[in-house]
Parts: sequence; C-alpha cells; structure tokens
Amino acid sequence: MILRIDLSAKLALVGLLWVCAFMLPWAYQAFLCVLVITARFAIPQLRPQSERSSKAFSRFLLYSVAVATFVILLNSMLIRGGATMGSILGFSLYEEGLFFGVRTASRLLLLTYAVLLFFVSTPLKELIRFLQQKGLSPSFTLILLLTLHFLDHLPARIHQIFLAQQARGAPVDAGIVSRSRALLSILSPLVLSSIVESIDRGTALELRGFLNRPQDARLITQPTAERNALTIILLAGTIILLLATLSRWLLG
Amino acid sequence: MSKSIRQRIAEELTGPALPFVAFCIALNLTAGQVTAALKIPLYLDSIGTILVAVLVGPWAAVLCGSTANLLAAAFGNPTMMFFIPVVAVIGAFTGVVAKLGWFRKWYLVCLGGILQGILAAMVSAPISAYLFSGVMMAGTDFLVLYFRSLGNTLMNSVLYQGLASDPADKLVSYLIVFLLVRNLPQRLLARLHGAANLRTPDPTP
Amino acid sequence: MAARLEISSLSLRYSQGAPLAISALSLTIPEGSCVGIVGPTGAGKTTLLHCLAGILGKHHPGIVLSGRLQIGDVAYEGFPRDILFPTVGLVLQDPFVQISGVRDKVYEELLFTIENTGRGGEGSDFLIQSVLRNLGIEHLANRKPTTLSGGETQRVALASILIAEPSVLLLDEPITALDATAQAKLRAILKGLHGKTTVLLTDTQIDFPLSVCDEIVILDQGKMIVAGKPRQLLSDGHDLANVGGWKRWGRITARLKDLSHEASREAPRILKALGLR
Repeated sequence: MILRIDLSAKLALVGLLWVCAFMLPWAYQAFLCVLVITARFAIPQLRPQSERSSKAFSRFLLYSVAVATFVILLNSMLIRGGATMGSILGFSLYEEGLFFGVRTASRLLLLTYAVLLFFVSTPLKELIRFLQQKGLSPSFTLILLLTLHFLDHLPARIHQIFLAQQARGAPVDAGIVSRSRALLSILSPLVLSSIVESIDRGTALELRGFLNRPQDARLITQPTAERNALTIILLAGTIILLLATLSRWLLG
Repeated sequence: MSKSIRQRIAEELTGPALPFVAFCIALNLTAGQVTAALKIPLYLDSIGTILVAVLVGPWAAVLCGSTANLLAAAFGNPTMMFFIPVVAVIGAFTGVVAKLGWFRKWYLVCLGGILQGILAAMVSAPISAYLFSGVMMAGTDFLVLYFRSLGNTLMNSVLYQGLASDPADKLVSYLIVFLLVRNLPQRLLARLHGAANLRTPDPTP
Repeated sequence: MAARLEISSLSLRYSQGAPLAISALSLTIPEGSCVGIVGPTGAGKTTLLHCLAGILGKHHPGIVLSGRLQIGDVAYEGFPRDILFPTVGLVLQDPFVQISGVRDKVYEELLFTIENTGRGGEGSDFLIQSVLRNLGIEHLANRKPTTLSGGETQRVALASILIAEPSVLLLDEPITALDATAQAKLRAILKGLHGKTTVLLTDTQIDFPLSVCDEIVILDQGKMIVAGKPRQLLSDGHDLANVGGWKRWGRITARLKDLSHEASREAPRILKALGLR
C-alpha cells in the first residue's frame, strides 16, 4: 500500500470537501476554501498541470469572488430580518440576509473550489485512464478520447467554414436577422460534414474490429494501480463526518 | 420483453454514433465561438445535445449533455457540474419528443422547444436557488432580483426567471436543429439510430 | 495468408425496386494476386468493396443482394451480413478517417488494431516493427498520427489494416490524395505484398492499376465491361471511352508502335517495358 496524492486520493478529497460544504458551519467552510487555495500553490500534486489550467484557476477565482459578493449583498438586501448591519447605495443590509448570504456563498465557494482544484491538477487523459480502470466501457472511453481530438480541430474547422461563407457573401456583418441566416449557413455544412465524417470514422472503427474488441482491452494504456492509504483515510473521514452529522441531527 | 438500459444504449451507440456523439459534445463546448463571431446573443450550449437526441436517441443525448458539462467544468467552469441534471433532462426529453416524430413538423418543434424550456426551468430552479441564490452573473440575474423585490421567495423568483427566459432559448435551439436536420440526405441519416425520427412514415400498410 | 476470392453472379440493389447498383458480376481472384477495378464515378467500385468487406450487408438491412462469395475455403451463402475483419481488410478512400484519433503515436495506432483482434501481448512489438519496416514508415513510429502528410497517413492507414494480417486486402481509390512520389512508394508496397495477400484496389484512372495489377477489371454502371491482363487490354484495342486515362494510353501505345515501325531506337525498349512486344 502507498501513501500519495494520486487521482483516487484527489477524488476522495473532493468528496470530503463536498460533504464539508453541506455539513459544516460556514466559518469552517470559509477556512477550507482558504486551505484549498493554499494547497493549489503549496502542494506539487495539486498544482495546475498547464499554463491554460493555471489561467483557468485564476480566472475562476476572480469570477467566484464576484459571485460570492453578489450573493451576500443581494441576500442582505432582500432577506429583511434581524438588525440593520449597514447600507450600500441607499439599500439597507439586514443581519438575517447577511448570514444567509454568507452561508450560501461559503458553501458555493467550497463546492466549486474542490472541483476546480481537482480538474486543474488532473490531466483529462489521466482521468479517462482512471475511469477505464474502474470499468468504463471501450465505447464510452472512445467517445471521451475522440471528444478531446475534436476539441483540438473543431475551432479551426469552424473558422475555415466562417471564412468560406464570408467569401461567398454571407452577411456576417449585417443586421441580426441576416446574421442569424449566416449562422445557419455556418452550422449547416459543419453538421453535414460531421455526420459524413462520423459515418466514415465509425465504419473505419468497425473495419478495424473495434466493436468486437475484448472488454478488458484497455483503450488507453495505464500503469498498474496500487492501493492508496490516503484515499482510504479521506474516504473514512467522509464517512465519519456524515455519521457524526447524522447522529447529531437524530439526537437533536 | 422490455429492453434493459444497457441494451437501449448499445442500440443507439452504433459505430457511426460514437464519433458523432463526440463531435456533438465538442460542438456544445465550441458553438459559442460561432455566435460570438456573428455577434448573436445566443449560447447554443445545448445544440449538440439536441442534435444527438434527434439523430441518435435519448440515452446518447443524456451522455452527450452530461459529458459536455463535465468537460466544461474541467476546462475552468466548475459550476457547470451542478447543472448536469438539467442537461440530462434536456437530452432525455428531446429524445422522447424526437421519437414521437415532433421534429417532422415546425409547429411541433416550437411546442417541444417551449415545453423543454419549461422543464429545464423547473429542474434548474432548485439548483440555482439553493446553490447560487439565483446569481449566475448573467443578465437574467436582474430578473431574479425583480421577482424577489416583488416579495416572491428565492425559489419562486428563480423559477419565474427560468420560465421567462428558458422557453425562448430552447425554442430557438430547437428551431435551429430542425432547420439543420430537415434537409439531411436520408442515405446518411440511415446510419444513425434516430433516422426514423425524421422520416415521414409510409402511409401504405 | 492470402486467400482466393470468388465472386459469383453478384447483383445488388440498395432497396426493393431500386436500380441495380451491381449487375451479375462474376470474378475470380487467385490468391496472392493484385486486381484493379477501374471505372468512372458511380460505376459501383466502392459498392463492390463495401459488399465484400461486409459493410453493406451489416448497415443496409433493406439491401437486395444475390450471388455468392467464397473467400479461401469459406463460402458465404448470399453475401456476408457482418464485417469480415480480420479476414478481409478494407482501407477507405479517405485515410484520415481511418486513423482512430485516440492514440498519440503511430506505433500505438497499430497496437490499437492488434488489441481489437484480441491478440495484444507478447509478439505485438515484433509484428508492429515488421509492418512499419515493410511499409517504410519506421521513422514515423513516434509521430502523432494527426500531424502526418497525406502520403504518410495513407501508409499508416494501410499499416493499421495490414497489421491484422488479412487474407484479402481491399483498397478504395488509394492514390486519390497522393503525389507522384507517394504513389511510387505505394506501388512498391503493393508489389511487396504480391503472393502474401490478395489485393483488390479501385481507381477511376487506369494508370496506377496498369503499373501494379496482375489483372484489370473495367466496371461501368455496375456491369463488368471487360477484364484481362494489362498487356492484353492495351493490345486488344478496346474502346473504353469511360475509363480515365484509356484514350491517353491508347495514343501512347499507338504512337510507340508507329515509332517502332519507323525504327526509333527507344520505342522497342519502351514497348517491351510496357509488355506490348
């Protein structure tokens, strides 16, 4: 048995953080949010795997702060209960709404940060390998891998069709109605060519025996996985927390 | 004897369907590039799901929508994960109405789009209200604010906002897909499981 | 191991009442030989290949087929209703769609085919290296398949089918996207397969099949017009106006014969090289 932050441990961590988001008081949730952001910088296995992931993390942090601020402010203004805590632009902020907003915001932040940390630190192919190991069928694995392939090529194809349509006079800069027609003139060849390509690709896969592939033949190669003690610890923590919350609720 | 879910999924996911579903997942994630280039205020983030629902089937559409949202979360927008139930419902409902032949007539497409929008609003409302307090950093937040200022509860306000905007949005998506698929050659469609959804039934017995 | 291919009275309609796509075609291809099916667009060449590979039978349930097929010792009553891989391997016209898109290296692309046949494990590496070497693409083993040129992709697509060691290899218009150099490489590969695999290829122009096939079949509107060895076809003086390149070859051979009679030094050598003397 090993003890390391691998994919299974990261998934277990997301599970634990999600349970914390629903079971713990808001102050603990806020503290965990800070811990998650710190972990992104401090723990190598939880750092973004690429420049793109790193930018996505920063972008989402800013977005989430804006969302959290709005959530708190709107609820403070609209849920009128308890003492007045202050005012902004002439709108009073109420205690009940403020605490409701803070609880909602901290829960939302913890839920989203847990997922964000997982995805920025995990290459998609590694995730697909893991799912395959856990029993994802070859067909589903193929769909995921082909999606990544299409995501690489589709933007260029869309751009090519856009230029081709523009060259034949499609009204890409005219009024909204004309631009809507131009939308169809771009989507139509894109969809038609994708159906033709899908039929050809599907036939090619069948011609290479893919649909008769043995179920246990891995579509994407992977090293043999060892049991991870950290995953077990995190899972145990999740279960203990759930049981503790449940018993506290039952005992009043 | 009724078929198991596994059998139904296997029926839908034939050879050509696999790359087509993958393409539609990618389309969900990149269609915004087209609307942005044309400066059209649409997201079309379910267009791939609706295409799969019509041309392949409901189970494939559920897979398409869910996977697209999962990948959107992976690419830096984790909030999309929470709306997986919504896109699953979009895929399932659209697949069912497509099987009923609604995508053969424009007025049924319009009806389907409106009903789909209502259903999507009902499923997304609790998620949006409970997790986000109705704040999605979009123009529709003002609608939520407006309904709340009228004294409605948070849940009702989010629901009313959804009912005000989702049917129109889904109607447009449905119509776009209808216009895209109606002239596709039957010999191509015959290779996809949902081809019968678009074929007018032979009147002779 | 190569297999003999016998097609007996194949007739095919895409549906009841539809016009005949192939009409009473009978053809015998000896094991290990290479046959070219030449005809204009719509002649039925791709339909024939898809029928032999089992695609038509599997994906067009409404298809009306009659006739008989025998591959080696296996006789199919009617025509196959399922894909016959790995006995029959088909390389599609567009080699880019033949690449799976799920593997990052050419080597792994070939391994994908081996895994599909359930033969992964020891021996795979030797087989892959052998196929890469035979097709002259060992240097591409670690390249990403989506970064290859048209000619390279064609050879990788061919390798991805050959790795399964089919008894019959079908090639649908294999030179469509190839320049002269790539065509020459493919010609050398097909000559190397002679005796080892039975090959059936299609083309709209007669040039490439003339240079590589043991026999050529001219197909038009689903019917076999004429069949024979290249030398025989050229010297028999058939009027094959619908066959791409036929008139050009007719003019070349006629001119060379004229030059030969006029005692040109080169003409006899060229005629001999073309097998016309």
